[in-house]
Amino acid sequence: MTATPPRLAPPLARDWAPLALGLIIAVVAVLFLLYPLGSAMLLAFVRSGDEPSLTGLTLANFARFFTAASYQRALWNSIYSGLAATLIATAIALPMAYAVARIAMPLRGLISAMTVVPLISPPFIGAYAWIILLGRNGSITQWVHQWTGWTLPTIYGPVGVILALALSYFPYVYLIVQGALAAADPHIEEAARMAGASRARIVRTITLPLVYPAVAASMLIVFIKAIGDFGVPSILGGEFQVLPTLIYYQIHGFFNLNAAAAIAAVNVLLTVLALEWLNRTRSFVTVGGTARAAARFTNARARAFGNVYCWLVIVIAILPQLVIALASFADRWPGTMLPESYTLDHYRRVWSQLTSPIANSLILAGAATAICVVFGTVTAYASARGRLRARWALDVMIMLPFVLPGLVVGVAYLTAFNSGWLVLTGTGIILVLAYFTRRVAFIFRSVATTITQIDPRLEDASTICGAGWSATMRRVMVPLAAPAILAGAILVFSTLIGEISATVLLYSARWKTISIAIYELVLGDLLAEASAIGTITTIMTLLLVMAASRLAGRNMADLFR
Amino acid sequence: MAGAALSVRNLTKVFAAGGAAVTAVADVSFDVTGGEFFTMLGPSGCGKTTTLRVIAGLEQATSGGILQDGRDFMATPPQRRNIGMVFQSYALFPHLTIFENVAYGLRLRGLDARAIERRVAAILGLLQLEPYAQRHPADMSGGQQQRVSIARALVYEPSMLLLDEPLANLDAKLRVLMREEIRALQRRLGITTLYVTHDQEEATAISDRLAVFDHGRLAQLGAPEEIYAQPQSLFVADFIGRANFLPARLTLPGAPDAGAIFAAGATVRPAHTVRLPANETARINAADGAIVMIRPEHLVLAAAAGDIACRVVRTQLLGGLLRYTVQSDVAPGPILVETTRPLPGIGEGATARLTIPPADAVLYHR
Repeated sequence: MTATPPRLAPPLARDWAPLALGLIIAVVAVLFLLYPLGSAMLLAFVRSGDEPSLTGLTLANFARFFTAASYQRALWNSIYSGLAATLIATAIALPMAYAVARIAMPLRGLISAMTVVPLISPPFIGAYAWIILLGRNGSITQWVHQWTGWTLPTIYGPVGVILALALSYFPYVYLIVQGALAAADPHIEEAARMAGASRARIVRTITLPLVYPAVAASMLIVFIKAIGDFGVPSILGGEFQVLPTLIYYQIHGFFNLNAAAAIAAVNVLLTVLALEWLNRTRSFVTVGGTARAAARFTNARARAFGNVYCWLVIVIAILPQLVIALASFADRWPGTMLPESYTLDHYRRVWSQLTSPIANSLILAGAATAICVVFGTVTAYASARGRLRARWALDVMIMLPFVLPGLVVGVAYLTAFNSGWLVLTGTGIILVLAYFTRRVAFIFRSVATTITQIDPRLEDASTICGAGWSATMRRVMVPLAAPAILAGAILVFSTLIGEISATVLLYSARWKTISIAIYELVLGDLLAEASAIGTITTIMTLLLVMAASRLAGRNMADLFR
Repeated sequence: MAGAALSVRNLTKVFAAGGAAVTAVADVSFDVTGGEFFTMLGPSGCGKTTTLRVIAGLEQATSGGILQDGRDFMATPPQRRNIGMVFQSYALFPHLTIFENVAYGLRLRGLDARAIERRVAAILGLLQLEPYAQRHPADMSGGQQQRVSIARALVYEPSMLLLDEPLANLDAKLRVLMREEIRALQRRLGITTLYVTHDQEEATAISDRLAVFDHGRLAQLGAPEEIYAQPQSLFVADFIGRANFLPARLTLPGAPDAGAIFAAGATVRPAHTVRLPANETARINAADGAIVMIRPEHLVLAAAAGDIACRVVRTQLLGGLLRYTVQSDVAPGPILVETTRPLPGIGEGATARLTIPPADAVLYHR
């Protein structure tokens, strides 16, 4: 240790990298998050055909909610189908969450993993599976008619929509509540038991109040997803209009952006009201972590109930995916229980006809994922570590589009970039940017969680060793956050493949995606081809999500909690 | 001070904590000479770690200055200060091997591969870490991780070594072993070292000089022996070692050198008198009040001979020490006496007599 100290590189005047990155973030946030939403809200208050200006503001676009029966029906339908789907999803999920968390039964991890399947395959794929089963020529419809002579009520309309939405989104309630039950301090329940409470009483007075915040939060997610869903009501709705389908017809039928923006504003209002409800009902009870797991019921009756119930729910929930897979190989399926003969023709046709939509989806989702990775990672770092005064503003800006319905984001992008100084409609760029807006929260949350778990002294140690900000990011933080970034990226990519509600407003002939191709096939009653491509999409997504969970070192269910 | 390796001048650090301003460090000044082992000591939240982090450049001072070898240090960003630092959590890079952790600072300095290889091998050898070069931090014990973090801090031959509570996460026995190792290494390399700890025994055992912090202020600065023998405040006396505080009254008001008289009547004339710092004067009620501080091991307890009558309420064996807890009229609370040998005829419940040797006592006055 007698050598002369090695010299440091010549000092830089200043480390510009964080400033430059901050500037880029601000510009992107304003341009692609704030500006579209702002201009959509402005347009909602401008008469159709008028130039937007602050002096010409009007409530005319909203007047139809008071005058037009179709508007009132759509609003009412959105509210009640959303509420009904939420309540049914919760009713399905709560016993299941309790069973997995508190009953000693095998394959609990598999049960949680299976519930992810309905989440990753787009809800509209589930919707046309119900047509295959319960539609006018559906196999169950025919079967019931054959044996009993009864005609089942039609699947088209509110019943089908509510059923498909509930079965698509109940896993959110299951995953979040089961996670909360597993994390709840077991001592609290034990204390109640020592005090002499019966098990039923413990569930009612201790366990449920304890996980109530988780139940409320997950119900909110289901409600927001349900009122924002376009695919399910447009396929199963028939005459049953909801706000998203109303927006769609305003734009595709009349290209009335102002009316669409006004409906979108009402849709946003519903979302905000739901968020406000969550804020009011959030209880002060905190769920404490402890190393010890709660005691599980081991008696035979509880285990029998748990097993039968959980697997029944899972079979029903993944039935659509199974039916679609079966339909994709079916040569003839004339309302019988199973197809009469099988073929690979649908896959061959899909391969020859749909290479372009598949390529488009991969390119658009890939580009959007890349932008999400860069923007999401940097903002997550800034939010977790930075001494930002406006941290809450950053969080809101990133999380808001995440909870907004896809159709609303679509309307926002149409209004912002259809005319004026930056015209993007009809390009692939507008899809990429809308995807980015809708999904950046995935990476933001995943990376921010990881960064808060990294000892901040690591950055200090790197600095003291002689590294500037850029070198510390490159050599320490990015390698450490890499698994979270990658897992988030795969999640973004895989869920974008089936994105329909923003796509349906923004796609053009040149940029038709897989989801639009499936949608058109379903509308054209070509269910076999739709099933083939739907199956490919679901399997691809499932494999990607499994890869993501491996990379993140978390189980699949955790990625969606 | 000319020739000081490090000068801290009127350092003040104010944190904004949710609207309120919290002063973590208030007007602290001290000098550290080259090659010195200098420790900042104090209870948690006293400002010692903040001072260290300002010296490292990881925090910005609100006001005041830091000079290294007489040159202003404040404008230099931390990565250019050429300082080595060891953290309480070790802060090893979990994704890098031990070799790469240690080589980190050398790579940033653009050394060629052979030079890096040679220097990392040398420092790993010095800290007996050679067999672990290809392991990852997660596969090492706490003590080994600590050594790696010291190697990482020393390998690029920094001008100063900063250690922030480096032993706090180790078990008691390893803590003693490691502190001796750190001290031996520091002597061997002759590197100027700033050490932060809340453990007064650790601080007095290894430091050349101590700075005792209290609520962001520098309470006392000096060699460990000096601080132990003549604490300049009740806080320091209480924080370093154990102390008996006996309330008394000056025998001659305004003349502390003349000694003090206890309520029970006995008098003592301590060799050291100290005027209490402003924040502690309230501890003495009357203008002519005083407090006599005496360490338990300096008190003399005997069966018959002595100035003060007392009664033994408890005896305890603490490893190599015997502690007698006695009750006397001179103090409202119990008085501690420590000896290395049992005192014949003095058991629990026995009456005895106490003597305060004036040379070891300190008298505090207003």
